[in-house]
Amino acid sequence: MLSRVADSLYWMSRYIERAEHTARLIAVKLESMVEQTPEDAAASWARVTQSLTGVKNAPLHLDAFAITRHLAFDRDNDNSLITSLSLARDNARQVREALSNEVWENLNRLYLRLAPVTMDSIWVHTPARLFRESLEEMHALEGVTYSTLSHGEGWYFLELGRHIERVQQLGRLLDIHFTAAQTGNGPKYVDWLVLLKFCTAFEPYTKQYTASIRPQKIAEFLLFDSEFPHSICFSVDRMTEALARVVPGAPPARRAAVERLAGRLKAAVDFGQVDELMSGGVAAFIADITKQCEQIHKALYSSYITYGAETVL
Amino acid sequence: MQHEVFANTEDFGGPDIVAGTGRISQPGVDAPYANYELGKPFDEMFSRDGQARATYAAIDSRVSSLPLEELNRRQQAVEQSFLHQGITFTVYNDNQATERIIPTDLLPRIVTAREWDRIERGLTQRIHALNLFLRDIYTDGRVLKDGVVPRSMIYGSKHYRREMRGIPVPHGAYVNICGSDLIRNEAGDFVVLEDNLRVPSGVSYMLANRDVARRAFPAVFRSMGVRPIEHYPLELLATLRSLTPFHEDVSIAILTPGVFNSAYFEHAFLARQMGVELVEGRDLLVNDNVVYTRTTSGLKRIDVIYRRIDDDFIDPLIFREDSALGVPGLFNAYRAGNVMIANALGTGVADDKAVYAYVPRLIRYYLAEEPILDNVETFLCREEKSLQHVLGNLDKLVVKAVGESGGYGMLIGPHASTKEREDFAEKIRADPENYIAQPTIQLSTAPTFVGNGIEARHVDLRPFILHGAETKLVPGALTRVALKRGSLVVNSSQGGGSKDTWVLSQ
Repeated sequence: MLSRVADSLYWMSRYIERAEHTARLIAVKLESMVEQTPEDAAASWARVTQSLTGVKNAPLHLDAFAITRHLAFDRDNDNSLITSLSLARDNARQVREALSNEVWENLNRLYLRLAPVTMDSIWVHTPARLFRESLEEMHALEGVTYSTLSHGEGWYFLELGRHIERVQQLGRLLDIHFTAAQTGNGPKYVDWLVLLKFCTAFEPYTKQYTASIRPQKIAEFLLFDSEFPHSICFSVDRMTEALARVVPGAPPARRAAVERLAGRLKAAVDFGQVDELMSGGVAAFIADITKQCEQIHKALYSSYITYGAETVL
Repeated sequence: MQHEVFANTEDFGGPDIVAGTGRISQPGVDAPYANYELGKPFDEMFSRDGQARATYAAIDSRVSSLPLEELNRRQQAVEQSFLHQGITFTVYNDNQATERIIPTDLLPRIVTAREWDRIERGLTQRIHALNLFLRDIYTDGRVLKDGVVPRSMIYGSKHYRREMRGIPVPHGAYVNICGSDLIRNEAGDFVVLEDNLRVPSGVSYMLANRDVARRAFPAVFRSMGVRPIEHYPLELLATLRSLTPFHEDVSIAILTPGVFNSAYFEHAFLARQMGVELVEGRDLLVNDNVVYTRTTSGLKRIDVIYRRIDDDFIDPLIFREDSALGVPGLFNAYRAGNVMIANALGTGVADDKAVYAYVPRLIRYYLAEEPILDNVETFLCREEKSLQHVLGNLDKLVVKAVGESGGYGMLIGPHASTKEREDFAEKIRADPENYIAQPTIQLSTAPTFVGNGIEARHVDLRPFILHGAETKLVPGALTRVALKRGSLVVNSSQGGGSKDTWVLSQ
């Protein structure tokens, strides 16, 4: 596979994952804000904004309309839903020949549907609906990707993009919530519930731990559950598997550089203990995992995509 | 989605609509043809006395039986589908990029088996002569020594590539992919308007339009014995393969300028259909005169490049040094015979307006045959007799500067003022070699769906010719349509659209 194609597939997948995460957070937040006091809702919106844009201490007086517009439709926001989808589509267009018609058309249709949407038009009735429908379409996109593309090299670059992005997004969300929990004005019961919903984890969590919502159990579930697709552990397993298979034809030395990093990350997650983390260690643990993901990203590029041609001639 | 399927069952299960109802539509009278104008040009569907030709009877009877809303619905479904598939080109206005589709018309244009036979033989003959001509001017120059074509016209052409002299080209096939533009004159005969020998595009639209028309009129399609064209990518692949003697594991790539090129959809489409790599200049590198592409597992050698980049941009070391689209060293790898490039470089010299006028003579010179397809009558101002004729008939002729394109340096006699004609006559006298003249051409008209009915619109015909070890035409073409009433401009950049072309087997 061309290195440029691998690069575009990887980023296409990252941006789709980012778009999906963004759409879900906005939908859940719009649905849950009605159950909160204005102060709690504002604090919760601020956490969402921080998680999605990286901007700390976002001013609390902003209203939901303005925040939603910024997070969903602001093209000047590098991480907005529409920016992510647009970048995903640009990357997909670059590698049109490496994708099936179904994958391209699903993505293209979704983008063309969202591109002209205005806040005024969705705010009148049920603003969350558009984001729920977008999520459905992104799930459909994930489905056609799974069922119409060969699960070869390109597929593993998609997997890597998806799961590296997911670990980073999940990590940021957990970090913000557990760091806030150390302060006086931490997340309330509803906020923990909402955190589970941000990760589509509410029902899977209750099946495991019943409906008793406890931060420690939430951390355990979202960090270490090996079966739930939006846990750190699950994504790390997928990454490790993808890294072992992604470029079977590459020279062993270049593959080893990547696989070594993957093994180290997997060990960190496999042997992590939630009781050790609860006294403020969640943030440090997540920072370590995130850093390791960045190293894997760099190694992936230097081994397979940006390697100097002179090294192989 | 179930809904969609049922909406079409009438086409499969209904009564035998193909036999027709016995009713004959009158252009200019009956709906949906109430605004259908028959004029001086040849019309594809109606004869001069307003009778629908037999080849169009089935489509006429189907179209007449459908409510306009249904035709509109199908037309919109098609446009939606093009947009979703990304069959678009991008227009840049005030830094705003807008994606547009090239409109496609539901109604097919029909070419009879007899007409196609002549087109096929004529274009095969023409591409043979043009390739012999290219080989000649890049080797011995016999045609120049014999005085058939003026030396200055070739060596002075900006598309003549001195660098190509003496480079052997497999099968002598310089032009491997050709898209010739034909028009039908008032008498109904197909004539050649232009040979596109560099990087012709449009074949993906030919294939996309087929999908459209087949879905719009499945029963009519099935009943008429339309010849298939879906094997075009396979034939193209075979043509590209035939350029190299290594038949096992030939590695082929399409070289595209990238996603911002207006034909990018076509490049990606052909790569997918053929199962070959789509590469940009930055994916390729040349080492020791061998071309490689950078893959995740290392460098991979490339044997054949179907380039969709103009000569000028292909190798900054030899041609334009500011080109960021090309590959440094590519030409030397080509010269060394380590990579084949289709089309060969320097083919543009044979499709400019001046050489065009000589093609009938080239056919006689190289093949000792009479041309099967005529040119549009063309006067070369460099020849004294023609010059006098042109100067005496400026009010009836279109005069073009040979080196220019896109309507620059052009006089449309019938529309020009006396002053403009006098000024232009001065220019012609000062530099007659630079000018050719043609009568104002009429393109034929074909039925086209315009929203509230079916009207006559001007069309041309672009078949695609493949030439490697063998010459092949897929029996089909891109029919381009000037969608504005009365307009003769079929270019997509200026309001042109396209439609499917049905070549009949009987």
